[in-house]
Amino acid sequence: MHHSASNPMDKNQEIITICDLNKWYGDFHVLKNINLTVRKGERIVICGPSGSGKSTLIRCINRLEEFQKGSLVVDGVEMIEDVKNIETIRREVGMVFQHFNLFPHLTILENLCLGPIWVHKKPKAEAEATAMQYLERVQIPDQANKYPGQLSGGQQQRVAIARSLCMHPKIMLFDEPTSALDPEMIKEVLDVMIELAEEGMTMLCVTHEMGFAKKVADRVIFMDVGEIVEQNAPNQFFTNPQVDRTQKFLQQILNH
Amino acid sequence: MIIYVLANILPGLIDWLFISANWIGETQDDCTKEGACWVFVNAWSQQSIYGSYPTDELWRVNLCLALLTAIIVSSYLLDKSLRAKISVPLFLLFPFICILLLDGSYIGLEKISTDFWGGFSLNVLLAAASIIIAFPLGFIWALGRQSHMPFARSVSIVLIEFFRGVPVLALFFMGSVMLPLFFPEGTNVDKLLRVWIVLILFMSGYMAEVYRGGLQAIPHGQYEAADSLGLGYWQKTLLIIFPQVVKISMPNILATFVMLFKNTTFLLIIGIFEMLSTTQTALSNSYWLGGYAAEGYIFVAIVFWTCCFGMSMLAASIERQLDTVKR
Ligand SMILES: Nc1ncnc2c1ncn2[C@@H]1O[C@H](COP(=O)(O)OP(=O)(O)O)[C@@H](O)[C@H]1O
Ligand SMILES: [Mg+2]
Repeated sequence: MHHSASNPMDKNQEIITICDLNKWYGDFHVLKNINLTVRKGERIVICGPSGSGKSTLIRCINRLEEFQKGSLVVDGVEMIEDVKNIETIRREVGMVFQHFNLFPHLTILENLCLGPIWVHKKPKAEAEATAMQYLERVQIPDQANKYPGQLSGGQQQRVAIARSLCMHPKIMLFDEPTSALDPEMIKEVLDVMIELAEEGMTMLCVTHEMGFAKKVADRVIFMDVGEIVEQNAPNQFFTNPQVDRTQKFLQQILNH
Repeated sequence: MIIYVLANILPGLIDWLFISANWIGETQDDCTKEGACWVFVNAWSQQSIYGSYPTDELWRVNLCLALLTAIIVSSYLLDKSLRAKISVPLFLLFPFICILLLDGSYIGLEKISTDFWGGFSLNVLLAAASIIIAFPLGFIWALGRQSHMPFARSVSIVLIEFFRGVPVLALFFMGSVMLPLFFPEGTNVDKLLRVWIVLILFMSGYMAEVYRGGLQAIPHGQYEAADSLGLGYWQKTLLIIFPQVVKISMPNILATFVMLFKNTTFLLIIGIFEMLSTTQTALSNSYWLGGYAAEGYIFVAIVFWTCCFGMSMLAASIERQLDTVKR
């Protein structure tokens, strides 16, 4: 993709820097001393048992959740309590949700154009042209004038990915993008994500699709009870997990 | 049983209402037949519909009514994208266009004081003008109510609960007695303006509660998706949340509209020549002391029933139309 075509010079540039991040829900310590740096173009898969704080962590990155301690820098902008900063960061970061979260009262094309028109102030014709381009990339240009409710889950999730891409984000966050889908639709969504990864998009992806992790991830992160327990390159991570908890987890999800 | 009773009563009723009724004539003396005296209605229909608005200037009232119909019909027919650009501004301007036209003095026509406005047409226009303002205002109150800012929140709660909790009658009374206290001394606040303000506030309270239900039905994911696209608060609220809330709450919104329409009849309390009060004036008019109250009230009932029934039919058809778009 033209906008994120990675220049080798950039390869080592840090795009997300998380330092000693801590978050509480009341008394409940959800995220404990998270340290994580992500370089431009890196593909990271985050896995771990349900309730371990995976969603909460990636939602901190675009400030859908606030945190109480530590620091978070996204593409040189520090996340602080400031509407301007938050909006700047949100423009750089796209997010795909488990339940798609398309806007049901708008057509597919309108869903895609909303951000470019209102946030980037693009003319309508230009926004629509870009939107059609992305719909073609996710292979559903013929659905442009339908409403989300008329599409299958797999199609809706591809629309959701296209909607994020229309904003030309530098980073894409995925929160279990395939876990609400029927098995026969998982592949069509993963294919789009693989293509995106191959084009050099910086991606953080919470998923239990280990095939996807093996294929595209540069790093797999295992989280448990609010901590990053282990992180490693996929072949190391799957063949030679260092920590007991990781081993148990891998046994569970690989055997089921 | 019911059928038996109806069978016995209906023929006589129909005879009284239509067959032997008196339709033509100018005064009570023309009511010679045995049936209902509809002459009364005929003679007073102008009064009933237009109040004391000067006969030569009635076109202004008709124009307002025609405009209202045109805006409603056009918003129904227009394409979705045009609806937002054309119908919404037209609706919002409508109350002010009406004021300019009916008053006249601002646009070089003969000034007609609100004392002369009245009748059923005023009822309709006032209801429409109140609903149009209450529609967005109620939403703002509903937003305030679920806001995290303590000030906005408490102000909204007080407004909503006050205007919902106090009976309309009391509100109109307060409107005519108390509202003037908020204006500088010596300013004579128009009676009709006071009624309008009270109706708007009363209506906004009810609309806010209707919207609250709708707001609670919007999944949290919609807010998150809007946030993650980088939309600002008002963009998110107006482009994503409001349209969905309106859609979800449509049945309740329309039911509330019908209620407001009925409530405008309370206007008679402060002596405006409005539908019911017109009839009462007519009845107390010495010409009509013959005791034709039944006819008057039946006429009023029919007009009201027709309007409310019409609105319910419209509501049902809008709901059906929305259903086809649902997931
Ligand atoms: N709004 C909230 N209030 C209180 N607790 C929450 C809230 N959201 C999530 N949690 C808790 O935080 C923990 C981590 O949640 P989450 O990040 O969604 O886990 P994961 O995505 O790994 O399954 C869970 O135990 C969950 O119950
Ligand atoms: Mg989760």
